[in-house]
Amino acid sequence: MAERGPVSVRIEDVHVSFGRTRVLTGVSLHIEPGEFFAFLGPSGSGKSTLLRAIAGFGPTPAGRILIGDQDVTTLPPWKRNVGMVFQSYALWPHMTVRKNVAFGLEERKVAAAEIRRRVDAALELVGLSEFGERRPAQLSGGQQQRVALARTVVVEPRVLLLDEPLSNLDANLRVQMRRDILELQRKLALTTIFVTHDQEEANTMSDRMAVLNDGVIQQVGVPMQLYDRPANLFVADFLGTANVLEGRFAVEHGRSRFRDESGIEMPINDVVKYESGAVMFRPQNLTIQSPGSGHAAGIVPLPGTVQYVEFLGSIVRYAVAVGPHVILVDASHRQGDRVFPQDAAVEVGVDPACVITLAQ
Amino acid sequence: MNHSSRVLRVVGSWILAAGLLGAAPLTQALEDKLVVVTSFPKDLTGAFKAAFEKKYPGVKVEMLKKKTTAGVKYLQETASNNTSDMFWASAPDAFEVLKGDGLLQKYQVKATGIPDMIGAYPINDPDGYYKGFAGAGYGIMWNERYIKAKKLPAPRDWSDLAKPVYHGHVGMSAPSRSGTTHLTVETLLQGQGWEKGWAEWKAIAGNFNTVTERSFGVPDGVNSGQFGLGVVIDFFGLSSQASGFPVDFVYPSVTTLVPANIAIVANAPHPEAAGAFIEFLMSLQGQELLLNPKIRRLPVRPDIYGKAPADFPNPFKDKSIGAAVKFDVVKSKNRYNLVNSLFDVMITYRLDDLRAATKAIQDAEAALSGKSNAEAQRLIDEAKALVGAVPVDEATALDPDFAAVFKKKRKKATDKVTGRQAEVEAEWDKLVKANYAKAKTLAEQAKSML
Amino acid sequence: MTTFARTPFGPAGVAILLGVFLLVFLVIPVAKVVFVAFQDPNTGAPTLVNFVDFFNTSLFRESFFNSLYVALMSVVVASVIAMPLAYFTTRFNFNGAILIQTLGVIPLIMPPFVGAVAMQLLFGTNGSINLLLDEWFGINIPFMEGLNGVILVESIHYFPFILINLSAALNNIDRAMEESAQNLGASGLRLFRRIVFPLAMPGYVAGASLVFLKVFDDLGTPLLLNVNNMLAPQAYLRISSIGISDPMGYVISVILVLFSLFALWTSFLAMRGKEYATVQKGGGGLMKRDLRVWEKAGAYAVVIFTLLIVLSPHIGLTLLSFGTIWSFSVLPDAYTLANYQEVIGTTSEYITNTMLYAGLAALIDVVFGTAIAYLVWRTGLVGRQWLDYLATGALAIPGVVLGIGYLRTFYDVEVPFLDKPLASWWVIIVVALAVRRLPYALRACVAALQQVAVALEEAAENLGATKFRTVKRVVVPLMSGGIIAGFITSFATAAVELSATIMLVSAESDAPLSYGIYVFMQSAAGRGPGAALGMIAVIIVGVATYLSHRVIERGKRERALEAALAGGV
Repeated sequence: MAERGPVSVRIEDVHVSFGRTRVLTGVSLHIEPGEFFAFLGPSGSGKSTLLRAIAGFGPTPAGRILIGDQDVTTLPPWKRNVGMVFQSYALWPHMTVRKNVAFGLEERKVAAAEIRRRVDAALELVGLSEFGERRPAQLSGGQQQRVALARTVVVEPRVLLLDEPLSNLDANLRVQMRRDILELQRKLALTTIFVTHDQEEANTMSDRMAVLNDGVIQQVGVPMQLYDRPANLFVADFLGTANVLEGRFAVEHGRSRFRDESGIEMPINDVVKYESGAVMFRPQNLTIQSPGSGHAAGIVPLPGTVQYVEFLGSIVRYAVAVGPHVILVDASHRQGDRVFPQDAAVEVGVDPACVITLAQ
Repeated sequence: MNHSSRVLRVVGSWILAAGLLGAAPLTQALEDKLVVVTSFPKDLTGAFKAAFEKKYPGVKVEMLKKKTTAGVKYLQETASNNTSDMFWASAPDAFEVLKGDGLLQKYQVKATGIPDMIGAYPINDPDGYYKGFAGAGYGIMWNERYIKAKKLPAPRDWSDLAKPVYHGHVGMSAPSRSGTTHLTVETLLQGQGWEKGWAEWKAIAGNFNTVTERSFGVPDGVNSGQFGLGVVIDFFGLSSQASGFPVDFVYPSVTTLVPANIAIVANAPHPEAAGAFIEFLMSLQGQELLLNPKIRRLPVRPDIYGKAPADFPNPFKDKSIGAAVKFDVVKSKNRYNLVNSLFDVMITYRLDDLRAATKAIQDAEAALSGKSNAEAQRLIDEAKALVGAVPVDEATALDPDFAAVFKKKRKKATDKVTGRQAEVEAEWDKLVKANYAKAKTLAEQAKSML
Repeated sequence: MTTFARTPFGPAGVAILLGVFLLVFLVIPVAKVVFVAFQDPNTGAPTLVNFVDFFNTSLFRESFFNSLYVALMSVVVASVIAMPLAYFTTRFNFNGAILIQTLGVIPLIMPPFVGAVAMQLLFGTNGSINLLLDEWFGINIPFMEGLNGVILVESIHYFPFILINLSAALNNIDRAMEESAQNLGASGLRLFRRIVFPLAMPGYVAGASLVFLKVFDDLGTPLLLNVNNMLAPQAYLRISSIGISDPMGYVISVILVLFSLFALWTSFLAMRGKEYATVQKGGGGLMKRDLRVWEKAGAYAVVIFTLLIVLSPHIGLTLLSFGTIWSFSVLPDAYTLANYQEVIGTTSEYITNTMLYAGLAALIDVVFGTAIAYLVWRTGLVGRQWLDYLATGALAIPGVVLGIGYLRTFYDVEVPFLDKPLASWWVIIVVALAVRRLPYALRACVAALQQVAVALEEAAENLGATKFRTVKRVVVPLMSGGIIAGFITSFATAAVELSATIMLVSAESDAPLSYGIYVFMQSAAGRGPGAALGMIAVIIVGVATYLSHRVIERGKRERALEAALAGGV
């Protein structure tokens, strides 16, 4: 069973329905051996269903799922050798920590001495050697998470699946756990897929990620690329705060130019092939200054009034009314910097290099 | 919440209904109510209740159905604040117990034309506390389909029931559970003598399928075909037959006809109505009701038999029914509880051991038949003697000091009795169990020689 | 824990009233019966010699082990019946599940002694099944012989206790528990044995211990099957024999009570700290999966076969009630409506009484159950646990012991204005039923209360509601589902109870249905009509139960609708 080295996971045109409700539509993905991959999406997007389909839970999907070279599409969960850590951890309360961790090895009929050795090693790995005889209910949330991890990796699965692994932990623990999981993954060189609705988690942990919505993959890529160059409105909005203006594109002098109904206009750095669409720019890519204080070359000024100001610590967020729109601008905060008050007249500066165009 | 108010409304209507139920009817010369504690089935009590209420429209009769034993217990437990007027049941000894406890009151029957004796048994209590209103005798009933299917002959007498062919086919109630069954046991003991009587009972019991908890359990078992033959009181057999069950009934030679009785309870709240009920029971009208096929009891007025169907037994003419034994009531009363206890210890609770020993003896005898083997015969006889053995002799059983262990009632704190029933029973049980086991071994030994 | 500074008397007063009720109607009557066991029969001095006699008598030792054996085997057989049914209903999507939920509880609403009569006709040595087996294969299977019969009848009667509790427990298991085991390589029976069943254990133990207790104490079934060498029949036979004042009957009662309490305590210990099934987050209930065609056929076969067995008493009773003569034959000779015609005139009184008694008893039970649950779980009163222990302890008291205790205790107590002893007033039957069924209602109320968050109460108090108004306006409405479930259980089981009522019925006009059936069944001609009355009892209780179910469901839907409307605004 044990294949040498990490394996890939290939998902080919997978469809899943619960009764009449379509949950996944035409999903195809190729996850590289040893990759730390995230499924990111809002609740109901189908990300958990996809993860569960890889583990073998839920209705049998149409399409193919391959782990390494093996087609596992119709294989029952217990024959897949895929390790899954559940959102609720699903530690069995009637067993001690040690029994929980030993369970999978017992199911695989591993010799008792070997089980003892490997359980010890796994508990050591997650730093819980002292807790073997406790019951899950006697552990903290973070410790339970570690037991769940140990229980899963002790059987040396081909792929590690994590379902919302950090959602039940408080903020401090979450950061710690994030690093621990990453470290563990590197150490074991395991192909790992994890599901999350939190883009920060996905950004910090994954090598690559897939954003899902309505059962369809929206975009696949490395986190920064997705953030900076979202393929559509959904990805743009889901991965961070975005200012979006809808309007039309026209080609002038070999360059595209954007114009919306309220008269806001800006040049676009490349040629857009569609006529109607939207432009997106993130708040931190904008500048804010007093009217008429001059601009660097190429910056598009948008005059407006400050509607409200939010102080967020490292940044100050302005909501600026520009015509009928409200544009959010993040200015990094340094001690002593001037802050525009509410109702102040300002100019928002947009750098066309940071503007993303999106088809309708 | 509106569903909770709905619940309340339902309950409210129940409470209202309860209030209406409690509303009292009108009164007449007699009291307006009569409460009868009875062991008789609804077929009997219902007919009398209806006829009596028709004759005395102002009186509402309450039939309180209890098994004889439970009825006695009930009257004893409730004596301090009695609400019952009458006790109406078969077994005279149940009335004896109540009489002994001072729970009955005397009554003089006004109706005439009732003889002193039915069979060999006096119809009324000589002390005047309880009155016989119908006769009944024990016999054997069987299921025709059952004996046909199992190819069994129809029995004629008690001794037939001890034959190997009936092994596992006989049912009977225990004397401690049923007053009338007690009478049957006692009748045979008096008719055959203590030792021989018990030996015969145990030979029969060795063929038992079951010992039923209620006396009605026996006709019930025969009717449904659960077992084939049963030792029952005549009206069970006769009324089952009348209800259409494929059963038959026979009076064996040794039986006694005993009256079924009625008495007024001491401190009865409605004594006038109670007296009227007794008179009604003894009247021509009341006695005729006994001929009803669902009731089928022998009236105590000889003049009624003219109205009976042709095959109805008439003890006043046919002297062979129930006349063979002169029943000694005093003897029966003195060892009443002891006989019950002995039967339970030897038969009811050790039925499996007894059956196994009996089966072994029957098998050995079957193997022996036609051959001659003195040693085997000796072993079988020894085994039979062990099975038949009784842990107490008749003299001890009748010794009032010994019998007192079984019926002690400490009336005063100073009363003292030596020995405890549980202690005595444990000793008997030990002996009986050992005897049955030994008998089984001996019989098996005898068989192995053949 | 909330404080009672504002209403210092209220809860304590209620607790004292409940305590007095339990003392007068449970502790004292039982004490009156059992104290005979500690008296020297010769001198009346306090002694333990009777217990020495008990253990020196081989019959009693044998009876003790028989009772133990029958109770344990009944738990085993009832589990064998209930487990597949519970598993199918919680694990698979198929219509049979509804069938099980509907029909699976019906055995509880038949008086056990009536069931025994019907079972004897079907499974007895010469019952229908054995007559057929004999004709076809020449064999006879002793289903109903001796202890076997008791085990069979009892398991069929009481398995719903396991079914109900186990299904609830299975439904509460977080499905991730099962999935994580599958993920680690477990499947099928191993998965069930190692993960699913241990997690459902508290529910199973709750059901199984109820079955054990009921069977251990049950009197009617062994008596009807003429099995004498068990404890309860021995106690009854000795207590109710003519003129015998042998203390052994009472000694046996004490031993029954003590052993039942011990069993109750053991199950309590076994379950302590294991109520984990409900605390997990995530998707509730086992994964339900669809069955393939052949699996569905197989599942239906198992379900129908099991239901045929568990409903056999009803099948037998139906045949008996419509049959003319049924004697040593596979089926009755002919069919008729005469039996129903005969009982139709006499039943109205029995029915009114049954509805009144069982209804009032169940009402008392839910009121007291709610009060005790609240006092025990939501207040800090000293000794509050004892209310729970006392009320639950009623489970361990055999009906006969309670019945005799009532006669002893209340016969000298006159009811004001009515001029009759309390023990012969119909209300005493209601009280006996209420005390006997209180443990069931109490469990339902406790379960319901535990699902009401304390914060909801605190919110009401914060808005100015007093403790009592909070209970009335917030707690009780939120508990209503559980309360009605408790009402149904108490009502349905009280409606068919015989053991305590048979001692207490003092006038035919006060008698409930089960007593009426018993009376009919005592004559050859009355068997058919008795069966007809039994069918009427089953139908009435069944309909009443079904209607109460509808009330709960309607309440749930209405609340859901209200919530939806509130959410929409």
